[in-house]
Formats: sequence, structure tokens, C-alpha cells
Amino acid sequence: MRKVVGIQTAVMQRDAVGLGNMMPFWATYKAHREAYDEMFDRQGNPQPGYSRVLTEFLATHADKFDEIRARADRMFLNEGVTFNVYGDSAGAERIFPFDPVPRVIDAATWAHLEAGLIQRVRALNAFVADVYDQGHILKDEVVPADLIKTSSQFRHAAVGIKPPHGVYITVAGIDLIRGADGRFYVLEDNARTPSGVSYVIKNRLVMTRLVPDLIRGMEVRSVEHYPADLLACLCELAPSGVSRPTVALLTPGAYNSAFFEHVFLSQQMGIELVEGRDLVCMDHKLYMKTVSGLRQVDVLYRRIDDDFLDPVVFRPDSMLGVPGLTAVLRAGGAAIANGIGTGVCDDKAVYAYSPAMIRYYLGEEPILPIVETFLLREPEVRAMVLRDLDRYVVKPTGASGGYGVVIGPKASDRELAETRERIEHDPSAFIAQPVIQLSVHPTICGGHSEGASEVAPRHIDFRPFVLLGERPRVLPGGLTRVALREGSLIVNSSQGGGSKDTWVLAS
Amino acid sequence: MLRRIADHLFWMARYLERAEWRARLADVNYHLLVESPTHDPHPWAPLLAVTGDNEIFAQYYDTPSESEVLDFFTFDIRNPSSILSCINYARDNARSLRHRISSELWLEINTLYLEAQEWSHEVFGTLGVYGFFADLRNRFHRLAGISHGTLPRDIEFDFMTVGTMLERAENVSRLVDAKYHYLLPRLENVGGSIDRMQWAAVLRSASALEAYRRVYGNQIAVDKVVEFLLFDPGFPRSAHFCLDRLEAALERIEAAASESLRSGPTDSPSAELAQALRESSVEQVISSGLHEFLMEVQDHCAAIGSMIFDKYLRFE
Repeated sequence: MRKVVGIQTAVMQRDAVGLGNMMPFWATYKAHREAYDEMFDRQGNPQPGYSRVLTEFLATHADKFDEIRARADRMFLNEGVTFNVYGDSAGAERIFPFDPVPRVIDAATWAHLEAGLIQRVRALNAFVADVYDQGHILKDEVVPADLIKTSSQFRHAAVGIKPPHGVYITVAGIDLIRGADGRFYVLEDNARTPSGVSYVIKNRLVMTRLVPDLIRGMEVRSVEHYPADLLACLCELAPSGVSRPTVALLTPGAYNSAFFEHVFLSQQMGIELVEGRDLVCMDHKLYMKTVSGLRQVDVLYRRIDDDFLDPVVFRPDSMLGVPGLTAVLRAGGAAIANGIGTGVCDDKAVYAYSPAMIRYYLGEEPILPIVETFLLREPEVRAMVLRDLDRYVVKPTGASGGYGVVIGPKASDRELAETRERIEHDPSAFIAQPVIQLSVHPTICGGHSEGASEVAPRHIDFRPFVLLGERPRVLPGGLTRVALREGSLIVNSSQGGGSKDTWVLAS
Repeated sequence: MLRRIADHLFWMARYLERAEWRARLADVNYHLLVESPTHDPHPWAPLLAVTGDNEIFAQYYDTPSESEVLDFFTFDIRNPSSILSCINYARDNARSLRHRISSELWLEINTLYLEAQEWSHEVFGTLGVYGFFADLRNRFHRLAGISHGTLPRDIEFDFMTVGTMLERAENVSRLVDAKYHYLLPRLENVGGSIDRMQWAAVLRSASALEAYRRVYGNQIAVDKVVEFLLFDPGFPRSAHFCLDRLEAALERIEAAASESLRSGPTDSPSAELAQALRESSVEQVISSGLHEFLMEVQDHCAAIGSMIFDKYLRFE
């Protein structure tokens, strides 16, 4: 523990006038009764890695919080660092609110997370490769075959496509939460087109402008090499014999919710940003249409769902995809990241079997635990959950982004009744989990039009990014999302969430 | 470069130029009204005529009162060529170009866009009609400055140049034509003081008044103004100048395009128009019909637009 004496005194005597002036938020900070607080332990002492954030950020910048937030918001809006909300009025762009109080992960905790994340993604990748090939894990009945074959994310078209080096999941975003016991749990896997990494890099940029000395002094690990690492992984996928592959990022277009990220990443990697209409398949090869004719593309980093990727194979009404792309991939004329059909492993029912996968493919015990998960397709389990529906979180198996999630204790009677009906109508489409008390983090609340701002605990989660190439790597940082509404557990940007910079310490 | 990127660059530049031209027109019409009080009950109606907005305006309003014309012209998105609509289209294109244009240029376009979303009739009250449009014109100057100061001179820039110059050439020919047709319904005024004042206003809308005076002195004469706006080789808003720049940009694009796309430079509409503007004289044009000549210019501009589309932008 470093230099915490002053802090301990401050916390223990938080009502003392002089210290209240030094740290004005002490007086009003109401610790959460059940949840794990990332910054303070139960005695009010700073958690590992946080003491300098307290003395050199919260204590000294308190009077500037409103201004800092306003400046960050303005910067994001003017630069167009925005996302689009579906179902909102056309073209509505919003910024992802930024909370300047950083979340810190000390080196020891990070080493544990990093090992657990790499282990997990390796197992998920092995699972996808197996499912679209021999299906050993299904034949050995470790994972029920019908669960896979009926999964909404299973893609017959992926059978027979052999990605270079067997890499299906080049990029994974694994959502972690910290329970009341202080342990990290895997909440869900995103192995299709996980987004959010651009905010990790932009948030750091804001903080670097704000407190450069603190970031340097605390030895916060840099996140800026992510685009270069991603590009290296993508280049590894190029068909053999191509020494300087042409890589392009496929976006659904300017109205997609993550369009800013597509722009940002393509710019950072120095690759073309393409839409489906820019591409054409000919003679088992993929080309883009340039003003000087066709140019071959070797690797496509697609940020568009399977369903829209190739109207010949998937949804015929898709205007976003490239007709014939699947055939080109099968012929090995181009490679794609992430591979087709990876959604089969981030299905929420399959998630329940992920510890078994790790044991099956790697012969290792899972480093990161998952949240207890009830498969509602099993009649006894279903009956048990339906009896106390208001005590569970119900999630659709195939969705992501928090859409369709019903939180029992917070749901109205009508919502519960509707959920019950939907479960009974299609039980395999849902899972249930106990309500997890997400950890909390001191966050600047209020301000703007809601009166003076204060520092209060708000629930957070964490999405680190894992790159699977010849050498797997985890971006030392990640997206910490925060539910800005008091008591809310929903951190999704589309539903009132904000984000924080995440500082992984080097030592 | 992707065809789609070329398309976005071309249209971003065109819409910015169009928005700027409209800001200039409104400014000039305002000046005209202040300087030569008129008995016309609807002194803002000519603005709709010059820009061809009158038909769509008539769908929504009965009489072209000042405030209705100004609102419709400036920030009514029901009008697809209102200044706000043009800014929105330009920004939509810029959004898909963010990875290709400088961050300074994107920031400036996006900031203008965000501000423009807040426009209402109030802005004319706070800043005054003059102040509002003068500020706006300066925003476009800033955009041009940022483009010139931050973008590499490559074929991406050439596609922007083509969009800007094509739009500008078309607008200047329309402006001259409109002055001839609409601004001056009564023949007895030709050559009179009101006439001179109006031609001066036309020059001012193209930021051309001072430059004109340097060449022709204080005398504002119809033929001289037409000569300057159409045929002056050095003034950046004359049709001749625009076509020269457009031609040069197209030649560079053509050289960069692959062999298969190349065609002979002859009989292209841009070469024809550039030649006509280089070689015609104002006397000749006025005697054989100015309006007819201007229609030729506009037809050629349209043909250049479709030629560029067919050759470089179209998706097959």
C-alpha cells in the first residue's frame, strides 16, 4: 500500500470540516449497501491502485468536474464521436456520455483477467472450429447437439469454410462484471462484431489531455497500439502467398450505430472503409470498385452481421452485403474476420456450457467463472424459474446489446406476465440468471440541468477486447460502461449508459 | 480510390458550394432592398425565381412574404435546396468521408451542421439578416481555407474541385440569366440607375465587385459585367475560370484512371464548354442571344455531371 495514511484519515473522519474541504465529495458519498465498491473497501480504505486517483484527481479537480464533463461531451459531439439509436427518430445521433473518474485495475488483477480471457477465447474458437467441422464435442455429448443445431446463430453456410490458421474469432469482446464478493465473472461473450474499442482509445485521449502527469506517474498502460495489433492479426489471415495483403473494413454504412468506430478503425489502420456496394465477387475473388477499375481485397474485417453478409446465402433482401462472398471464402480467395457463424458460441444458452468447453478443448480449469445460468428449454428448470420469475434476469439467447433483457425485481407485473408468455411459447429462446449485484464505482452525477454535481456510486461493467492471432493478446484496458441512472443495472449505450476510461497499471 | 468515395467527395463539394451560393444570394437581395426601396409588395420573390424554388414554395405558401421566403430559403428542410438542406447533404457525404478528409475539415463541417440544426427565424432577429448571411459566408470561406490548407493535392482533391467548379459555373450562368429575365421586368429601366445598382449587386454576390472595378473602373455596364462573370480567365468565380480548373482536374483524374477507362479528350462536354468560354466574345454572345448561350452553358454543365457519373462514380 502506498501513501494511504492521509486517505484513511480522511475517510474515517469524513465529517471533519477541514477534510471535507479537501475532498468535498466525502461528505455526501453514500457507499452502496450490497455491491462491491471498486474504489473503497468496506472500511473506507482505497482499493489497490486507487490512492493516487483519490489524492491527485478527485481531491484536486473536484471543482472542475462539470467543466470537464461539458468539455468532453462537446468534443465528442463536434468530432462526431456518436452512435445512432435504433428506433429513434431518423438520423438521431447521440454521444456516449463520458465520466471522467477513471476505473483502475492493478497489475495483479489484470494478469489474472488476461490469462482467463485468453483461455476463454481460445476455447470458444476451438468450439466454433469443431462445430463447423467434425462436431466432436457434440458427439461426446459434452454440449447437446440439438442446442447447436437449433441455435438461431448456427450457420450451415459456415460448414466447409476453413479460415487460415483455424482462426474464426479474430476479435472478441468479453463482458465481465464484478460481483458482491469482489470476483470477476463472465457475463456474456461477443464473438461476432463486438464494438466499443474506439471509445477505449478516445476516452484515453480525453484523460491524457486532462491529467497527463497522473497517467504517466501511475504507469497506466497504453491502449493506442490496438489498431496496429488488429491489423497484424488481419494480415495473418491473408491467403498464403500474399505478402502485402489488401485489407478492408466492411461497414453497413453511415447510419449504423457503430459507424464512428468503423471510420476510426479504418483510419487508424490505414485501410479502406467499404460498403457492400463497393465490392464485387468474380472468379472466386473479391474486388473493390475503384475509379481506376477493380482492385482485389484479401482480407475483409466485416462489421456487419452474418444475416446481411451475402444475399445469395443469407437474407436475400440484404442491400448491405456482397453477393457471392460466401463462395469466395469457401474457395479461399479471400478471408474474413470474424468468421461466418461465430455467433454459435456467444449464444446465451451455449454460454452455460462454456466451462465444459474449456475443460474439453484445453484440459484446463476455467480461470474466470461464469454466472449461474438456467436453460429454460429444460422443463423442471423452467418450472422452477417461472415460479419465482421476479427473482431472475431473463435474456433472449440470440440477442446482444441488452435488447430484450428483463430484470425480474425491476419489472412490472405486466412485463413479467408478457415474459412468462414468451418463455412458454418458445422456451429455448431464453435463459434465466440470478440477479447479479454489479459492482459500483464513484461517478460524477447530476450537474447540467439537475443541480450541483456530486460523486455517487453507480453500477459498472467491463468489456475487454481479445485479439486472436498467431499470438493471442488482450488490449490492456477496455470499455468500462456505467449505468448513470441511480440504481440502474443497464449499462448499454442505447439505454442510458455512459463510459469511463479504464487504467490498467503496469506494476 | 473507391468510386463511392469519389462520389461522396464530388457531392460534398457541390453541396457546400450550393449552400454558399445561396447564402450570397440572400445577402445580395437584402442589400438591393435596402439600397433601392421598391414598391414591389413581394421584394423577396426574385430569390425564389433565381434559384428555381418558386414551384415548391407555392406548394406550402400563398404569398412570398419576406419572413416566409427567408425561412423557406434558409432552413426549411421541406425545401431540398434550402441552405440547411444543402448543409445536411454535404455533411452526410462528409460523414462517409471522415477517414479520407482532414479532421479539421470534418470538425468544421460538423460544427456548422450542428449549429444549423438550431436555426430558426430568431437568428435574423439576433444577428440581423445581413449579419446572419455575412457570418455564414465567412464560414464557407473558412471551409475553403481549411480544405486548401489541409488536404493533399491528389485525385481526391480533384474530385472535390470538379464538384465545386461545376456547381459554381452552373450557378454563375444561372445568376446572369436570372438577372436578365426576372430581376428586370420593365424594359425602360435598362441602363438606368436601378439597373446599374442591380448589376452591381450581382457582381457583389459573386464577391466580384472590387475585382471588376480593377479591370473596368467605376462604370457598371451590362456587357462588361457579363464579360467579367462569364469570360474573365483569372477571377475565381467566373465561368471561364471554373471550367479551366474543372478541365485540369478532370485531366489529372483521367491520367490516374486505368488504361481501360481512358478515352480520347475530344468531344467531351467539358472540353467543349471550356473552349466556348475561352473563345467566345461578349459582343457575339449578346447579339446572338445571351439567354440561349447561358442555356447552352447549363446544358453542358448537366452533361459534364452525367459524364463524370458514368465514367467514375457509377456502380455496375
